[in-house]
Amino acid sequence: MSKRKASEYQSGVKPIWCPGCGDYAVLNALRQAFAELEIPPHEIAVASGIGCSSRFPAFLNTYGFHGVHGRPLPLATGMKVGNPALTVVAVGGDGDGFSIGGGHIPHAARRNIELPYIVMDNNIYGMTKGQPSPTTPRGTQRKASPYGSLEDPLNPIMMALAYGTTFVARAFSGQPKELAAIIKAALLHPGFAFVQVLSPCVTFRNTYQHYREITQPLPEDFDRTDLMAAMRLAQETETLYRGIFRQDESKLGYVQRVREMRAQVKPLAGVDEVVEQYAR
Amino acid sequence: MKERAVLTGKHFMSGDDACAEGALAAGCRYFGGYPITPSTEVAERLARRLPEVGGVYMQMEDELGSIASILGAAAAGARSMTATSGPGLSLMQENLGLAVMLELPCVLVDIQRGSPSTGLPTMAGQSDVMQARWGSHGDYSVVAYAPWSPQEIFDLTILAFNVADRFRVPVLILSDEVIGHMVERVVIPPAEQIPHWERKGPRQPPPALDEPPYRSFQADEDDLVPPIAHAGEGYRVHFTGLTHNEIGYPEITPETHDKLVRRLIAKIQRNADQIIRTEGYYLEDAEVVVISYGCTARSARRAVREAREAGIPVGFLRLISLWPFPETQIKDLACTVKEFIVAEMNLGQMRLEVERCVQRPVRGVHHAGGELITPERIRGAIQEAISR
Repeated sequence: MSKRKASEYQSGVKPIWCPGCGDYAVLNALRQAFAELEIPPHEIAVASGIGCSSRFPAFLNTYGFHGVHGRPLPLATGMKVGNPALTVVAVGGDGDGFSIGGGHIPHAARRNIELPYIVMDNNIYGMTKGQPSPTTPRGTQRKASPYGSLEDPLNPIMMALAYGTTFVARAFSGQPKELAAIIKAALLHPGFAFVQVLSPCVTFRNTYQHYREITQPLPEDFDRTDLMAAMRLAQETETLYRGIFRQDESKLGYVQRVREMRAQVKPLAGVDEVVEQYAR
Repeated sequence: MKERAVLTGKHFMSGDDACAEGALAAGCRYFGGYPITPSTEVAERLARRLPEVGGVYMQMEDELGSIASILGAAAAGARSMTATSGPGLSLMQENLGLAVMLELPCVLVDIQRGSPSTGLPTMAGQSDVMQARWGSHGDYSVVAYAPWSPQEIFDLTILAFNVADRFRVPVLILSDEVIGHMVERVVIPPAEQIPHWERKGPRQPPPALDEPPYRSFQADEDDLVPPIAHAGEGYRVHFTGLTHNEIGYPEITPETHDKLVRRLIAKIQRNADQIIRTEGYYLEDAEVVVISYGCTARSARRAVREAREAGIPVGFLRLISLWPFPETQIKDLACTVKEFIVAEMNLGQMRLEVERCVQRPVRGVHHAGGELITPERIRGAIQEAISR
């Protein structure tokens, strides 16, 4: 039994989210994962961008950083290297992470920086009232796409796998226990952990029923180290698989790489040392 | 480690290298940047040197990531810096505003080149002066210093970290390609002689869960600066770029907004005497005063010295801090001076500021960038002003 309770991680601020928003389940799952891992709240820092889900840090009793749109990853990366003892978590939505901030994901993956990135994907821009996002299905009619959106949605799991992300998972707000287990595994991963959470927007794009119908857990015999198998299952769009697609602990995390490099650094000789060498 | 951070001794060093050494001597332990001419040597020197002193150098994916990462590192307690040039500074503007709003200490080095747009990547410019002051949206204040030699970029980079920490404000080093690539003698003092101003830390222990929350944006009355609690020190801090109350929570009201924005500006005004730096030559009896800064100030000093030698009553005011603008000093000079000359490698950005402050004619010696303004051109302007 954990000595800590999920309620310890709760701030006094009431979420701004609509009743029924998928993000409540993510907030609860993260608090539960923190409690189970018994991480003291003040040793956790949560960084976010802009959007409904990015209000997240205010609702936690941890160190929180609600930055500008699209930059939770570099912000969190700076925090992690600034103080590697911290448990740093980056959070945000699909617009924040895949559109304006999409350029940061491959580099977080290349560095294998030791932090989980939880994207609450509602397939829509909720805070600005329902414009199509990078994961909105093509043809979706909204005020900003009155004739149907012309872009195809991107596949976040395929993208993360292609970038070489060492931990890739998909969860669903409608499956809170599984969600908490996946977030806990992401927190324990010694590298960059990408978690796409299907987190419906009840106001502008209510997909709870849709996801209940089309999602299912990854097959029991699925091998998390088999990249090609992960890619095959990630390509499926009629069935969306939930669970951990990839878990590769063979690569060093960024902070570890920095430590290894530092241990090998030999300072360049100063003028006096060079002169002395020649004098001998 | 400490002796590796401060390379005490006499060196022959470029301005970009001296800037990097100033940062290390000041205790900078995180650099996040993106390659851009003519600032790249700052990054390359730190890439080699930071790991020697236990720091981290990170080449980020773009300038937006660079500045976001230094803000993260600042919140985690590190002295952190980035270096760029005009186009990169443009990309950093949104996060620069965030740094102002969150009062996160950090240093941005801008080695200016010919602008606008891609402009003259390998040639000097001084046209980011207004971008540095007003480039982000909203009303705010920042601090900017303009060094005129490799030695001074070393000294001012240390001052930049101290001012950033002491007043919780982003500080810019607004240098230029001439100073960045010029190689001169740089004297680095012993480590114990490097000035160090501390960040103010919280004065009470972290509150317990059942106690009222820690007020991370409650400013002290004397200097208007709130103490800072870093991540991991036990305090619950919430940073948001939204208008926030003293606890740090969003408070979307006109009253809170007006109070917060006014304090962020008043904080710099109230402490201006500790931030502003200028240097005057021959000002006592000057009828005409030349105002200049950065690389152009080198030409201005020679022009003024030669004019003085010819018996012309001209003085020289060098702006070391550009922002906050040394308004009082210039207004005082206007009581006795008949005419001002502003020499700068842009088409009149600082001349506008001088014109705002004085009821005297202000003559400009300008160039859009690419070549140093010669002492002869400034000398010519002095002659015209005197014989007017």
